[in-house]
Amino acid sequence: MCLGIPGRIVEIDRDGGLPMGIVDFGGVKREVCLAYLADEVAVGDYAIVHVGFAISKVDEEEAKRTFEVLKEMSELDELEWMKEVAEKSLGPEQADAS
Amino acid sequence: MSESGSLAQGVNCPVPHSTYDRVQLGHGSGGKMSAALVRERFLPLFANDTLAQLGDAAVVDVAANRLAVSTDTFVVQPLEFPGGNIGSLAVHGTLNDVAMMGARPRYLSAGFVLEEGLPIDLLDRIVEAMASAANEAGVPIIAGDTKVVERGKADGVFINTTGIGEMDPGFAPAPERARAGDAVIVSGPIGRHGIAIMAVREGLEFEVEIESDSANLCPLVESLRERVGGAVHVLRDPTRGGMASALNEIAAAAGVGVVLEEERLPIPGPVLAACELLGFDPLYVANEGILVAFVEAARAEDAVAALQMHPVGEGAAVVGRVVDDHPGIVALKTRIGGKRVVDMLPGDQLPRIC
Amino acid sequence: MKYLSEYRDGKIARGLADEIRRAATQRWVLMEVCGGQTHTIVKQGIDELVGEAVEMIHGPGCPVCVTPLEQIDRAMALASRPDVIFSSFGDMLRVPGSECDLFQIRARGGDVRVVYSPLDALELARRHPEKQIVFFAVGFETTAPANAMAVWRAKELGIENFSVLVSHVTVPPAMVALLEAPDNRVQGFLAAGHVCTVMGWTEYEPLARQYHVPIVVTGFEPLDLLEGILMAVRQLEQGRSEVENQYVRSVKREGNRPAQELVQKVFQLVDRQWRGIGTIPASGLGLRPEFADFDAEIRFGLEGITAEEPAECRAGEVLRGMLKPNECAAFGTLCTPERPLGAPMVSSEGACAAYFNYGRFRQATRSEA
Repeated sequence: MCLGIPGRIVEIDRDGGLPMGIVDFGGVKREVCLAYLADEVAVGDYAIVHVGFAISKVDEEEAKRTFEVLKEMSELDELEWMKEVAEKSLGPEQADAS
Repeated sequence: MSESGSLAQGVNCPVPHSTYDRVQLGHGSGGKMSAALVRERFLPLFANDTLAQLGDAAVVDVAANRLAVSTDTFVVQPLEFPGGNIGSLAVHGTLNDVAMMGARPRYLSAGFVLEEGLPIDLLDRIVEAMASAANEAGVPIIAGDTKVVERGKADGVFINTTGIGEMDPGFAPAPERARAGDAVIVSGPIGRHGIAIMAVREGLEFEVEIESDSANLCPLVESLRERVGGAVHVLRDPTRGGMASALNEIAAAAGVGVVLEEERLPIPGPVLAACELLGFDPLYVANEGILVAFVEAARAEDAVAALQMHPVGEGAAVVGRVVDDHPGIVALKTRIGGKRVVDMLPGDQLPRIC
Repeated sequence: MKYLSEYRDGKIARGLADEIRRAATQRWVLMEVCGGQTHTIVKQGIDELVGEAVEMIHGPGCPVCVTPLEQIDRAMALASRPDVIFSSFGDMLRVPGSECDLFQIRARGGDVRVVYSPLDALELARRHPEKQIVFFAVGFETTAPANAMAVWRAKELGIENFSVLVSHVTVPPAMVALLEAPDNRVQGFLAAGHVCTVMGWTEYEPLARQYHVPIVVTGFEPLDLLEGILMAVRQLEQGRSEVENQYVRSVKREGNRPAQELVQKVFQLVDRQWRGIGTIPASGLGLRPEFADFDAEIRFGLEGITAEEPAECRAGEVLRGMLKPNECAAFGTLCTPERPLGAPMVSSEGACAAYFNYGRFRQATRSEA
């Protein structure tokens, strides 16, 4: 149900009975069936692979955008936390100044 | 037929060309064929005077009063894999077990169960690898035995090696010596051997830039002995069952707890990727070329430096510490700040879909 | 690993956990459906991290755990046959049947092989024309396209010595069964990201509306789960009950159409028994009549095999989220990973196994505290 791993498509072979490809998962390469993403993908694209089948193409734009949002949120939290720590040790007015 | 001699003598391979290309039952019978096999395939490569006597037993001198003796039987499949073969594994594995006691390995024996039909050139490669590993360590193979079983009864070859080492009264690591506060140090990246083997097993074929880490750990132990000495409380090589099993055994034997830090574990990218693909946890994957050391906290940095002096210890790092809490339990602090138990597995890890 | 490792960032995780605590004005009850999500949650200690704000109930999304005992026994029967090479995903090997498991069958001489992909099993059939190759086709909707393709290709290529033992289940009927139960406490769901990668999320929209529960399609890495939990909590705080997508890098509303189409061609909806829960109508997939030739149950005449669950095993209650594994009397005593009473203790996705292997520490420290 679950174990789907992202990897980069490094080779595509559309000449056999089924469209197949080689996917590189950060240093591990395996043959993967591309039948369910047939014309959508090109070498260099990322796909999610489950039991030897690519089931989706990674939407890199969306991934980047939403990840930036997450990062920003955690950075804001860090500023909040720093402020709290400063307030506790210096007192609110002095904390604002620093 | 060429004269017998060690590999050190020159470029020409001293091993004679065989008149048969596969092992036959007769090679295990104890008669002329057996003698020829030993003389032609084993002696030239394992070259040493003791073995050449071919007595019923090898007679040797030892300097120490106390000896460390370890025996192990190797049944790995496939016989040849990226980074080694069953032969090199058989030598490294036993040398390492002896060295983990703080002992200096002096002699090895090797027993073979060969399957009828084993190609002679494969046997030669295995024996060459053993000879090479033994020579590199300066430990001769002084006794041996060969049996041949019928086709289908032995998976190619099974090898047993026994190692004898001299104990050092001033340097005797043991699990019971673990103390709260000790640093847990690993000498190199984890998970390489198990993944290298998995990659070439049928049904799970995948291409991975990982080789088995099978190696002789004696130089690392010497380094630690010299530089840090008695501050090394425990040594263990995490083979089958990986780091998790080794640490659990030590924690149980010593009655201490261990806390590992996930972020500090040195896991090579491709090992991580292969584990993700199969649903494995790198902590349970077998290693054949790293050691775990529990070292007094004050000397941890020196110990790491001592290990890093050798190519085999390049990736050495502190990965955790020994604690008073939860005796017998190994815990892991996760990257996101959580904590979980790292337990022993009942059996092997299984690739999963979920 | 790109698109994986970044989603394990400790700093961002702690930031998300803080956000969740800030957003919640009361303690909410959420269920993650998928066993893979349970695995990450317990392994990474995510339930601990958000514990003040959220109680995570572990759902029945472990296809291995819910495979009925009869199917396991049928698998044993097949694997014991000398003319059969029985192939399966690794998860299934240690699941206990009525008498033993596939490992023990292997020890007795059965040819049992682990494969990574159903196409590997098909390849075995090609390489061993003298044997019957049976593949244990277990899984949720994520795995159905792969299993369908293996059967489709077998028919196309005329590989007659290949057949499948099917035990496929689908998620939405199970969620309905949970929501309909009078003792249901679940207020929101994290839907399984890879099931939805294949199926899309249109099936969940009527559920969200009818039962007033937020459903967030969620991925599997720590940051995915934390973000999914945050989205669900925000909906609950705002009184909304919609389907939202956290796992945007993989899931689209319509899912993977070509995959859905092939599954439709090869499989049909059938009633299925869920181990520990009972029969849920139209909750499973079975082979269509055109592919009956590849159905191992028919080919080997296995319909007669039936089975009864051990009385002490409360897997059903665990799978419905009614019982936490460590609340079961047999947990850790009669039932351990070495001697499991039921599948959730054996499967790496099962809640019982996750608690045993990862969670025991918390019990130990709680009793010391």
